[in-house]
Amino acid sequence: MRELTYTAAAREALAAAMAKDPSIFVVGEGIGARGGNFNTTAGLYDLYGPMRLRDTPIAERGFIGLCAGAAMTGARPVVDFMFLDFILDAMGELINQVAKMQYMSDGRLKMPIVLRGSVGVGGSAATHHSGNYYSIFAHIPGFRVVLPSTPYDAKGLFNTALRGDDPVMFLEHKLLLNTKGPVPEDDYAIPFGQASVVREGGRDCRVTVVALAAMLRKTLDACDQLAKDGISVEVIDPRTVAPLDMDTILQSLHKTGRLLIVDETFAPCGIGAEIAAQAVDRALDDLDAPVKRLNGAHTPTPYSPPLEAAVIPNAATIEQAIRDLLAE
Amino acid sequence: MAIEILVPRLGWTMEEGVFVEWLKRDGETVRQGDLIFRLEGDKALTEVESMDDGILRIPPDAPQPGATVPVGALLGYLVAPGERAPFEPSLPVTPSPPLPTSSAPAAPTISPRALRVAKELGVDWAALRGSGRTGRIVEADVRKAAAQSTAQPPTARRVPVSPTRRVIAERMAAGLHVAAPVTLSSEVDATELVRLREQLKQDKKATVIPSYSDLLAKIAAHALLEHPALNARLEEDEIVTDSAVHMGIAVDTERGLLAPVVRDAQAKSLLQIAAETRALIERTRTGKATADELRGSTFTVSNLGMYEIDAFSPVINLPECAILGLGRIVAKQVVTLRPGSIDEIERVSVRRMMTLSLTFDHRLVDGAPAAAFLQRVKHLVEQPYLWLVT
Repeated sequence: MRELTYTAAAREALAAAMAKDPSIFVVGEGIGARGGNFNTTAGLYDLYGPMRLRDTPIAERGFIGLCAGAAMTGARPVVDFMFLDFILDAMGELINQVAKMQYMSDGRLKMPIVLRGSVGVGGSAATHHSGNYYSIFAHIPGFRVVLPSTPYDAKGLFNTALRGDDPVMFLEHKLLLNTKGPVPEDDYAIPFGQASVVREGGRDCRVTVVALAAMLRKTLDACDQLAKDGISVEVIDPRTVAPLDMDTILQSLHKTGRLLIVDETFAPCGIGAEIAAQAVDRALDDLDAPVKRLNGAHTPTPYSPPLEAAVIPNAATIEQAIRDLLAE
Repeated sequence: MAIEILVPRLGWTMEEGVFVEWLKRDGETVRQGDLIFRLEGDKALTEVESMDDGILRIPPDAPQPGATVPVGALLGYLVAPGERAPFEPSLPVTPSPPLPTSSAPAAPTISPRALRVAKELGVDWAALRGSGRTGRIVEADVRKAAAQSTAQPPTARRVPVSPTRRVIAERMAAGLHVAAPVTLSSEVDATELVRLREQLKQDKKATVIPSYSDLLAKIAAHALLEHPALNARLEEDEIVTDSAVHMGIAVDTERGLLAPVVRDAQAKSLLQIAAETRALIERTRTGKATADELRGSTFTVSNLGMYEIDAFSPVINLPECAILGLGRIVAKQVVTLRPGSIDEIERVSVRRMMTLSLTFDHRLVDGAPAAAFLQRVKHLVEQPYLWLVT
């Protein structure tokens, strides 16, 4: 199968959808003729022009409100934040209007808006450009929060995002944007709330690891190391954190008895805490050890490359965390 | 200055014991000589007395009742009034009421999953050792136990070996593998012993009826005075022969085989021996015999006659040289030949016969002297007047 980068895979989904559906348009800073800071819209301006690829001033709250109105009146806006950190300037609009409008209107108004941007720690993007916000948005009723980890998932999940009626946070980890992987040419969609068992453990597998976004690749590297010692690990990528596919995680936990959540972002009140709580609540009798989390440090992200590397998990710390959990 | 209360050594071979319970509570005033805790040693349950005066203080991490404790382990402290126990913080604290002493040892922890699997597989997990980081029993421990138990009959029950059982095991194995045991058997005519006992039963003034074990203890003690080689033990390169006979009486108890000791049996009358063994056996069966009452014997008598056993090979209770086993007493026809004849019957009579089994340590004594001793015992059984007059 041909290989595409993560960004190209998502862009393929966007381009195909824009070709079919004239109500789809993109707003953001530098997404027009420039093609997006991360090439998210490269080539589309030439096809669809400034009406559907609309550069904006640095006025997040303004253009979010504008897009929310457009979505309510039947359009399908895609807001490209470049760095998702900039969405914070529009939090009131998002949480009070975008997330609640369908409820407030008793479903008569729809909110088919895709909010995309890069997240995550990497490349010395420093503290204003390194946030992961999925736990915050997963906390709010009304948002779909999507966190693809492969080019294949990026295209399939983006297609689903463009076809629903709900506001979708489409969060692209900046270290994944240029990673390549097989992507089918046909038009496929991956439903939200379906986790992927990325690495299946053997019959004697005694640990399940839930890994999100860029942590997935590092976890798989750790598993390769552990496999040399005959240690089998089952790895699950939730792919969407809202809705969260706990059933797949719990099926695996039923098999293995131990659960580790590897999550780059802060531990307190995070998605790892949510997964742990649901595991204890629904599958206490499957637990052979405490549920463990491996998170990034609870600190603003440093610019310094060695410090930046030190505040997030890596393959070695993940490997150790798995060994520690197996020894519990 | 706080005085430490340590696990004492109750016998020379004791390395650990089971801390049974406190007899005083935390904070209680203790006088020298008061019994302060119970300890199960190799053989006996001992009530340990305090060597000093003071206020008993029990640290929160002190051994719990039921815990196995090494000799010398710290159990608690005696402190002076107003004095702080070493485990207490240095800040002044208001005296708290005495802590209730816990009677149950801490239960092992088990993961929920392991608990579920234990229920599914019918594994009794209470006795398992957990392999988890904190000692938690995890699924693998339960499955391992289940795999082991399927190799056994489904009714198999597992209990840890008690200190008493362990000592019995070691000593019985030593009696067979360290000693060079040889067993001699001899059928003796116990009719006169039975008659003696029946007469004592008829006697309204008899305070205690001696058992056959008592009778044979008395007889063996008498015979050992004449055959001291059987009243000996091996110590390094020396054979030590005791002038006194300390007679061990093998007693079956719930905790296992124990042998309380009648001291200086050679100097005691039959009724003295009978009275003493009755009290000793009672204390041994109820676990109240002291360690001293359960050690130091030089010879042992073991009776299985009440189980209708005819003869057996008793195991030497090292460091003793020999042990005498008593079989049951049964009525048999005995043929007496006419004097000088080889096959003419003078009479056929019914006699009460008994088989004595003597196991001796061939390292210390040879077959002939051991046989001579057993023959002397036979004569003394058959002719009780021989020893009644001494």
